[in-house]
Amino acid sequence: MNPIGAEPYIVLSMVLFLLGALGVLMRRNAILVFMSVELMLNSANLALVAFAREWGQVNGHVFVFFVMTVAAAEVAVGLALIVNIFRERQSINIDDLQQMQG
Amino acid sequence: MEWLFLAVSFVAVLAAGMMLTRQNAVHSALFLIVNFGCVAFLYLMLDAPFLAMVQVTVYTGAIMVLFLFVIMLLGAETTTDTSGRMRWLGLAGSAVAIILLLIFAFPIASDMLADEMAAPQDTRAQLRVINAIPGGDAEEFTVMEMGFAMPLAGTVSASVALDAVDESMADSRIDSVVYSDSREAIRGYTELEAGAYTVAVGVDDGSYVSGPVFTKDLVLPPDSAFSVVVFENEEGLVDVTLLADDISAPDVGTMRLTVFNAVTDRQVSLVNVGQYTTRRTLCDDASCASLIPHRRLIDQLPAGDHTSIALDEGTYNLAFVDQDQNILRTLADYKAERGLIETRVLVREPGVPGSQPSYRAAVFTALGLPAFGSPESVGQVLFIEYVLPVMLVGMLLLVALIGVIVLARPDALAQAERRRINRRRRVNRPLVSVISQQTGADVLSGEYMAKLTGGPDDGSDQ
Repeated sequence: MNPIGAEPYIVLSMVLFLLGALGVLMRRNAILVFMSVELMLNSANLALVAFAREWGQVNGHVFVFFVMTVAAAEVAVGLALIVNIFRERQSINIDDLQQMQG
Repeated sequence: MEWLFLAVSFVAVLAAGMMLTRQNAVHSALFLIVNFGCVAFLYLMLDAPFLAMVQVTVYTGAIMVLFLFVIMLLGAETTTDTSGRMRWLGLAGSAVAIILLLIFAFPIASDMLADEMAAPQDTRAQLRVINAIPGGDAEEFTVMEMGFAMPLAGTVSASVALDAVDESMADSRIDSVVYSDSREAIRGYTELEAGAYTVAVGVDDGSYVSGPVFTKDLVLPPDSAFSVVVFENEEGLVDVTLLADDISAPDVGTMRLTVFNAVTDRQVSLVNVGQYTTRRTLCDDASCASLIPHRRLIDQLPAGDHTSIALDEGTYNLAFVDQDQNILRTLADYKAERGLIETRVLVREPGVPGSQPSYRAAVFTALGLPAFGSPESVGQVLFIEYVLPVMLVGMLLLVALIGVIVLARPDALAQAERRRINRRRRVNRPLVSVISQQTGADVLSGEYMAKLTGGPDDGSDQ
């Protein structure tokens, strides 16, 4: 049996999540913002798997499955948007995208 | 194990940090791949091998390749990042992140959440009842061999009823799984709260249980499976024993066979005889000495005792043999299926007094529970409990697919404009030919155009 409990994994996933959040706030490159979001989703998955092991329930794994599916769909649509935006204005700096600012 | 976790998590955090700080987007993507690989390794350490493989294929394989494609397609490896106006956001973000980390990490570090994070105890136990009392008549025997499950009301000499000690559990009486085929016996287990119970054995004529003839106290630990075997002991009295059933998955490529000996005066061995045999004895004394030991799967099992063996997948000719090398019962073409858990109870058939006794190896099977985190266990939960969400997620993917196709069409606006122009042309061309037909003149020639615009009259109105 694995001698490590769930807590170290939770702490690790927390650190990764905060790093991802930091990336979303700090980076202005839209692709990097997207990658940071992926990092956050992944850290959430890690927490889910850790808890699933701790509780002996496979449901956590199933949720990880759904998160992965949603992440895949999100990345596909998001990257298509980024490509279109880049075609239109030759830039993917998210500070340049202000048309919808009130 | 701990150093492994520390090393992998260190690499994961380092890769995440590098991803954030690289100016070149391609480098960032590569560091993110390293991070995802580390997470996949952590999944392996968390008993989730299937998810680890999905993580590698879907995340590092598909999603990150998509990222790299887009980065290189756009040529957007390096973009001017922080416009000084927004630099304060990075500082504020780091400050908020550190504060959040402290807030989250403090309760875990100080064990404040120990109770909430502790795993819940499984309080369920599974129980089934196996009747191994020599009983019934020839008809029953026939029915059982044909594989029909029959309650056999009124003809069973003894059956079993289980009553809980606890008043509130009084309704949870289990009727015995007496003669039944293997499919029936899978359902033989009944879920109960773990705890202490009293098994009462009574004579059941189908509508009324008289007795109890025999009672025995049993303790069911949580998260366990047990078989209550009712059999006739050496003194010819009804006895009850508790078999701890191992319902975890058998080793890969094997089945688990448990044999319970309910024949009072015999020590039973299980022998792989190789070829089908109709002999009544296994061998004479001379050849028994040279009998290969590994063919003897179970050796000299005393009455009222049980043992388990792992049997490789395949087809066998097995025989139950007593201490005098008499073959009590053969199992011809016995198919060992992987993942199967089977209990065989060897019982004497009550025959005509004075005739040769016959024996029966009653079957009670169960499918092994798949190992935690294996594809089987995830698939079972995914496609049984979560069918609707799976459908919805499939729909989501379909919508995303359509959205991407719409978004990825090259300059959709320009295409719409071109289509509008084409439509106008299609209307104009036939109109010109119609006019030329009606007037009989070459509409497109300069002569006709000159007439229309009031040029010199050449008598064409006649």
